Amino acid sequence: MSEDKAAALDSIQRAQAGDVNAFELLYREHAGRIYALCLRLQAGDSADATELMQDVFIKAWRRLATFRGDCAFSSWLHRLAVNTMLENTRTDRRRVARVLPMDDTSLLAGAARSSGVELKMDMEDAIASLPKGARLAFVLHDVEGYQHQEIAEQLSVSIGTVKAQLHRARRLLRERLER
Amino acid sequence: MTHEVIKHLLDDYVTGELTEDARGPVADHIAACAICAAEVESLGRLLVRAKNLPKSIDPPVDAWSNIRGAIERDEDAVAVHDSRSRSAFWRQPYFLAAAAILVAVLSSSGTALYMSSRGVDANSPSSIAGNASAGATPATLVAFTIEENNYLRNVAVLQDLLDQQEASLAPETVVQLKASLRTIDEAILEARTALARDPANKTLIEMLSGTYRQKMDLLRRTAEMTRGS
Repeated sequence: MSEDKAAALDSIQRAQAGDVNAFELLYREHAGRIYALCLRLQAGDSADATELMQDVFIKAWRRLATFRGDCAFSSWLHRLAVNTMLENTRTDRRRVARVLPMDDTSLLAGAARSSGVELKMDMEDAIASLPKGARLAFVLHDVEGYQHQEIAEQLSVSIGTVKAQLHRARRLLRERLER
Repeated sequence: MTHEVIKHLLDDYVTGELTEDARGPVADHIAACAICAAEVESLGRLLVRAKNLPKSIDPPVDAWSNIRGAIERDEDAVAVHDSRSRSAFWRQPYFLAAAAILVAVLSSSGTALYMSSRGVDANSPSSIAGNASAGATPATLVAFTIEENNYLRNVAVLQDLLDQQEASLAPETVVQLKASLRTIDEAILEARTALARDPANKTLIEMLSGTYRQKMDLLRRTAEMTRGS
């Protein structure tokens, strides 16, 4: 086992035993990737993304005992982030208003720009403007590298639905980026 | 294969997810079809841009202090870190009423009143809360701590189960009940803090023990009901 992996495992085990400082090391290591994911899942809204990321790490702390090392800790955190976002969407009616129908996506254009976060604006703006289902499929598959099957399981939809959303996302993105 | 068929396979062709037997005919068609060739090129460019997006973006600097603060509040409340979740999934008025009883029992004034009248067993929380505690109450703080860990583990399992069934509940119901559970948890925190100050107090142990049993019972009943809905 490499020194890095051994150190990471040590941090996980100490955090599982209740060591907050060890958990902070895990946070420092993974926060950037989780925040990037949250930012894209939340259509470029930095306030929502920050809130989601905080929820994810608080939930991770509470559920650390359930992490058995069957997958990478980063994968476990990613899954937790997606699940937390889905839970929040279902339970927070404010967010429902942000799930715009396909015809209204122009209303979201510039969401990332207005967030104050420096991103690759053209592409990030275009992703932020996608309808939610298409955005989730695109971010998870084409940006994060999840397989169709994994996305289908996480979103509780069929593989066919994931592929259809991906196709839709790519078509809309190309229209918006290449016009 | 015709152009109409092949254009639906281009996404999988570009991402390398097309089966081997289909890949050859599609490649042959692309070589001869300018429209599909342009489509493939455009898709390829998009995927490269997606892959080149930054994988990591620095979060706001104060995010960790917020997380740490929340974690430490949790620690104060339950002494263990792995079992608390605030999700609430009640849907029946029965559960709201039961939750209200718990809130009343563990509310600030209830705790203060209790602290000023220690030893009044007739008003013990377990009896007020509705007799859910059929089991024996731990006699010491050590025994209670062991039992508390068991409660928290069981609560976590039940709440995970309810998480999976959340979609069957009306969003406004979930929000309302989430708020109720948060109030209960805050009341538990207060009582737990009182026990930390007075660890030998058997009535406080009894109070908390009964409350955990109530909470677990409510979660179990709700899980059973949502499963049956």
